[in-house]
Amino acid sequence: MIAIQTGDVDIGALINGAKQHGTGAIVVFDGIVRDDDIREMELEAYEEVAVPELEKIATEAKKTYNLLSIDIVHRIGRLAVGENILVIVVSAGHREEAYEGSRFIIEGIKAGVPIWKKELTKDGGRWVPGEHQHGRGTGKKRE
Amino acid sequence: MTVRIRFFARFRELLGTDIVVDVPKNKGLPELVKDIAGKNKEGYDAIFDETGAFHEFVILMQNGKRIETADAAKIKVSDGDEIAVFPPVAGG
Repeated sequence: MIAIQTGDVDIGALINGAKQHGTGAIVVFDGIVRDDDIREMELEAYEEVAVPELEKIATEAKKTYNLLSIDIVHRIGRLAVGENILVIVVSAGHREEAYEGSRFIIEGIKAGVPIWKKELTKDGGRWVPGEHQHGRGTGKKRE
Repeated sequence: MTVRIRFFARFRELLGTDIVVDVPKNKGLPELVKDIAGKNKEGYDAIFDETGAFHEFVILMQNGKRIETADAAKIKVSDGDEIAVFPPVAGG
């Protein structure tokens, strides 16, 4: 399942679905809204481009890390502190592939999928700066 | 001919989104974005520097395909194009 949606994610169902023949490891990445003195987080996406880019990252991860299944669900809309933003569930025959494949997917999303976050605070809001820059300049990655 | 412009994130807040405009044939991509962004100084300044060039962090897409800002001056828009303009992504 590759999706961008407003609703929450049933992580348990994704884990069950990921248990395919040959599965020896499942890795779940769950990115959540951190309590950085904010009230809510607002997310938006260029969905017509973001979904195909998620599919492309998943295809590459599957091939490179021999993953058996991949689920990526990124939420948009207004989310409260503690809510799920992004859930990635991957299954593989062995833990190394599952861990590495999961990491590849999250880094790929952060690097280039057109999704943005705005932290809503009591004083207004601030857009979360991107970690990468894609224009003609050279971007610096935040560690 | 008709072209659709979509701004996202901070640019959307300043300039709106889903803007459909009639433009003459052979309209350059930077000129098209300038025409629309020019209606709001803050929006214009968010996208263009003092020389009128795109800020280096601005991302451009034509029909879902990324265009390097350095190459944008060579790009002409076509009827039915969707042009997207947005700041660096921050998903995940």
